[in-house]
Amino acid sequence: MRQRSGAIAAGLVWGLGAALALSAVPMVRRWRKGQAKPVDMVRGLAAVPKRYLVDVHHAVERRPGAARMHALVAGGTLAGTTLLAAGIVSAFRNNRFYWASVGVFFTTAIAGTWLVRKRRSPQKPSYLSGGKFLWLPYALGAWNVGGSLLALGQIVGAGGVLFSAVPLFLMLVGGAGIVVQVARGPMRHAFSGVTWLAAHSRPERFGGGRSTELRPLDLAAPMLGAMVPSDFGWNILASFDACIECGRCEQHCPAFAAGQRLNPKALVQGLALAARGEEASAYTGSPAPHAPPVAGKGSLSSPVIGVDGMIHPDTLWACTTCRACVEQCPMMIEHVDTIVDLRRAQTLMLGEVRPGAAEALRHLRESAESGGRPLSARADGLAGENVPVLEEGGETDVLLWLGEGAYELRYARTLRALVKLLNMTGVNFAILGEAELDCGDLARRLGDEATFQMLAGEVIDTLGRRRFKRIVTADPHALNVLRNEYPALGGTWEVLHHTALLDELVSAGRLKLDARTLPPVAYHDPCYLARYNGETDAPRRLLAACCSQTVEMERHGRQAMCCGGGGGNPVSDVDVVERIPDLRMQQAAQSGAAIVAVACPGCTAMLEGVPEPRAEVKDIAELVLDAVVAV
Amino acid sequence: MSANIEALFKPLRIRNITIRNRVMSTSHAPGYGKDGKPQERYQLYHAEKAKGGIGLTMFGGSSSVAHDSPATPWNQVSVVDDSVIPYFQQFADRVHGHGAKLMIQITHMGRRTRWDTDAWLPVIGPSPRREPASRSMPKEMEIEDINRVVKAFADAARRCKEGGLDGLEISGAHGHLLDQFWSPSVNHRVDGYGGSLEHRMRFGIEVLSAIREAVGEDFVVGMRMSGNELLTNGLSQEDCIAIASEYATRGLVDFVNVVGGQARDEMSHAVSLPNMAFPVAPFLHLASAIRREADVPVFHAQRIMDVATAARAVAEGHVDMVAMTRAHIADPHIVNKLAAGRADDIRQCIGAGYCIDRIYVGGDALCLQNAATGREATMPHDVTPTTGPKCKIIIVGGGVAGLEAARVSALRGHDVVLFERENETGGQVNLAAKAGWREALTGIVRWLDAQVRKLGVDVRTGTEATAEMVRIEKPDVVIVATGGAAWRGEVEGADLVHTTADVLSGAVNPAGSVLLYDEMGQHNAASVGEVMATRGCLVEMATHDRLIAQEVGTTNQPVHLRELYKHGVIMTPNMELREVVREGNRLVAVLRNTMTEEEEERLVDHVVVECGTLPREALYMELKEASTNHGQTDIPALLNGVTQPAVANLKNGEYALFRIGDAVAGRNIHAALYDALRLCKDF
Repeated sequence: MRQRSGAIAAGLVWGLGAALALSAVPMVRRWRKGQAKPVDMVRGLAAVPKRYLVDVHHAVERRPGAARMHALVAGGTLAGTTLLAAGIVSAFRNNRFYWASVGVFFTTAIAGTWLVRKRRSPQKPSYLSGGKFLWLPYALGAWNVGGSLLALGQIVGAGGVLFSAVPLFLMLVGGAGIVVQVARGPMRHAFSGVTWLAAHSRPERFGGGRSTELRPLDLAAPMLGAMVPSDFGWNILASFDACIECGRCEQHCPAFAAGQRLNPKALVQGLALAARGEEASAYTGSPAPHAPPVAGKGSLSSPVIGVDGMIHPDTLWACTTCRACVEQCPMMIEHVDTIVDLRRAQTLMLGEVRPGAAEALRHLRESAESGGRPLSARADGLAGENVPVLEEGGETDVLLWLGEGAYELRYARTLRALVKLLNMTGVNFAILGEAELDCGDLARRLGDEATFQMLAGEVIDTLGRRRFKRIVTADPHALNVLRNEYPALGGTWEVLHHTALLDELVSAGRLKLDARTLPPVAYHDPCYLARYNGETDAPRRLLAACCSQTVEMERHGRQAMCCGGGGGNPVSDVDVVERIPDLRMQQAAQSGAAIVAVACPGCTAMLEGVPEPRAEVKDIAELVLDAVVAV
Repeated sequence: MSANIEALFKPLRIRNITIRNRVMSTSHAPGYGKDGKPQERYQLYHAEKAKGGIGLTMFGGSSSVAHDSPATPWNQVSVVDDSVIPYFQQFADRVHGHGAKLMIQITHMGRRTRWDTDAWLPVIGPSPRREPASRSMPKEMEIEDINRVVKAFADAARRCKEGGLDGLEISGAHGHLLDQFWSPSVNHRVDGYGGSLEHRMRFGIEVLSAIREAVGEDFVVGMRMSGNELLTNGLSQEDCIAIASEYATRGLVDFVNVVGGQARDEMSHAVSLPNMAFPVAPFLHLASAIRREADVPVFHAQRIMDVATAARAVAEGHVDMVAMTRAHIADPHIVNKLAAGRADDIRQCIGAGYCIDRIYVGGDALCLQNAATGREATMPHDVTPTTGPKCKIIIVGGGVAGLEAARVSALRGHDVVLFERENETGGQVNLAAKAGWREALTGIVRWLDAQVRKLGVDVRTGTEATAEMVRIEKPDVVIVATGGAAWRGEVEGADLVHTTADVLSGAVNPAGSVLLYDEMGQHNAASVGEVMATRGCLVEMATHDRLIAQEVGTTNQPVHLRELYKHGVIMTPNMELREVVREGNRLVAVLRNTMTEEEEERLVDHVVVECGTLPREALYMELKEASTNHGQTDIPALLNGVTQPAVANLKNGEYALFRIGDAVAGRNIHAALYDALRLCKDF
């Protein structure tokens, strides 16, 4: 009896494996309906263990409780089960040490299962989903308790109902549950996650690398962007299935926090449900806040955006493309790529953009400036400073890219401070003057790839007709486009953020600063500098040199919260409950900051638009200028 | 931020220069010239505006090009020889260092000057017609005079260019030689320079042509002119538009700088420099009309004191550059404050006209509400925090002296408590502002009060401080700014009279006939006379001065006189009030003519007097004994701009005591503010 139950259990494991393999078939079939992508699966699969243990766990560990839970339950269950599968060989079954090992793993898994249950008990946190998650611990528990009991019986040599029939029954029930969880529930992430990690659309991200640039769209293709789920790459469809609904994206999404109609988790789940042909009601997490109702039906081949589809259009335009969700996602899902793909179809195939965005795009097409303002007026705010213009054929060391912020009274102040610093230190620089066009950032984030490529082409041509060593800009959005997105279109230059240049001048001793006595200063990282380009140190070094007292907001560096100004959100007439910058300035107040240091025209405008009382908003260039004691 | 503000921040390109924004200060004569040169004081005054972000600052109103247009009368700049060039260079460097452009006005004043100064040369004009304001009879210019003056203009222009200035304007406004030729009210010539408008324009054409030849292409040359002389037989609006268009079409001017009216006599002078009795931007339409016709940029100044009006003037296309000349005297940092989103911190000009009046009564332009203007070498526009120990400063009295003391002390970083007996700050200024068109005086208090509260001063209104209350605060410094109380004077029967303060405060509300007697010659009595007359009183205003409101300057006195005449106030100068006695329920006032010593009697219902104020000093006297300095301000330290020794040497538990403003002796708002700034900036 004792011998037999061990063999049956090993058989059960094999049965379970077969059932799981079978359940993966429809999943794979579904993914194959997506667009073919050149993916090296062999190398990808070989890299999975490292990608999983290093990159995924790096994200998972930001919630230590969840990391512990996952290590115990996944590690224990997988190890115990795999080991038990080896029990098909009778030599193992006769070894007590073998059973002891099986028992230890399953017992570990029981502890993990207990933690799985604890996550949603007694009260499910709002960021987690319910549904099948609610009985997942029982399925796992049955399997693992069964496995443990069995192993115990084998070790102590006990038979009887308690150590044979009961554990086998538990494992049968638990195993069946696990099959359901994988075939039709959240446990599918075990399989889809591995697939996605192997076939990731940005493999450069693994090992701590960065890959954030949007990729050019072939404008001659019959379908531009993604309208229906099958318009996505097959690997992207796998990524939707890989979502384990942990809600980290939701917790970090600025639009969600402000009650705008976006919840990145609900978005990804909506896409996954649509691809699976399931209904929206199957989703049991928090919805996109205040989003109007949609039909909640979808299929691989029906439009996913729209009131008849799965996701309300408002959701798309609320995204600031800040990448906080991407940064947080333990499955390394690419939400921003997905949103931009969806926007591209809305914009390029349907012309369905918001009126404010439509106007900005029209201005960009017609006058190469998002506000339709004359290009000659861009440098108006610098009229009092010595600012040479680099004409065609001219040469300089630093080409100062002004960006659209230059048109604003407020940001011109920042640029004046920067220009003063450049003149002070004798940096040989020039601006493009009237020849500076919009770099295309806004058009691209709004999904208007055609306008982006048109603008980018002109800018690359303009830059190509001038000689300079590097480009410096105070606008991280322009920096990102110029540095990361133009190379794919044939324009490669060294592009620096103004804080990097100033930091360089200070460390080279060309600019001497004396920290001014100021109330506490907190630095607000611009998304496009910190998350998109990984630059968080130079601004902090500068602040430390020019302010007597700096503090950090709880969310800072690559975890910083967006100001709300990116991704075309401000021109997209987004319905809000609260304003994102209001939330950010509340966080600044909580940090005790009386001054918020910024380094982006968007952040400046958004944060300074917050009603007083609030911290003062100053660009780092302004703070540096105030602290200059010698050049 | 107000609407249209962006319009002010557009650069303006004229010929070879780019002005960084649309805000400017027009040429004027602050009386800071020294030996005919713009020296340190003059330069620093304009450099402060440049530092404050202004786009263009023009100096040297009526700078003279020839010896028979002397620079002396208003301590102006003489451009008659090359010795001025190094001063221009230094000046230009100072202003350019802050990114602003610098231009000058050069002129020949023709008949509008004096012959009894400098070279004692006879004044000249197109025709021998006397100007009421200057009272000079000019010699009719011969053709040789014309040629000489044309050459003088060209030579002066060359000096301006060599001095590194960005441009110049010639003045054809306010009755200078240029517009003396234009105006049929002055020009009665029958040669090629008189008669038709075409002929009358000839002199200016010759001047401008000669200037252009002298300075070449890379130099801005403009012209200041009236948009309508508002004078019978003067230049009509059509004439002015025609002149501007003609000169612009001929390419003679790069800009025109338009004013309304002229300044041939007292009243027209007051109108051309509109004070707080006038609406805002009263002549903007004249500039606008010229901008429509003449194809050159148009500048305009005249009571544009707030940025909203300035922005509107530019945004709506009335002008290309908006001049906020007096506005910059009140606050030279307007543009930077606006650009920094600190519009609320702008100290707005209230149109008191003290600056311009000071030129006629005192000799140098000073701002009624900003004691640092014109004193840039010694007084800060931006008060910086002290590097020394922080003090506890108690200020008693929330009038303008106390408020300014609180503001400056708080900016220095001290812990400041301000006691004010009344429920609101402002003191005597609140009273003065109750008088008719003087209402805008409240702006002074409003700004100071807002600044003081913003700086976190502990303002305790409705609290009359006692010596005990002051001591409880354990102060290091006590400043008594309790102001003055109206005095009834030494007249016999003084107990029967009321003071002007009684009328304004509402303590009495006279009806019937009133004898208003003024010993001060200031705004007080004149404005109270107007108030009582508008309330239906039959008012006779007597003074022992030669004139009513004799101490009031030339842009305000005519307005007082106009209002007093309009309201039927009988004005009786050269009379001294000797005695007041009761007769029944009326009063008999005995007046004595100061020239003849003859006495007259008036039977009136009320006698109201203005005899100035006496200090409220009870608290000061109480605190004096225990203070380390016995309440004395160390005058050498005050004048040298160093910390008062009593403050520098304070020991624990001791306090230094000072008094400022009318609590010392009755003077005016500027004196009160200067007392406070000068003392407290060094704490």
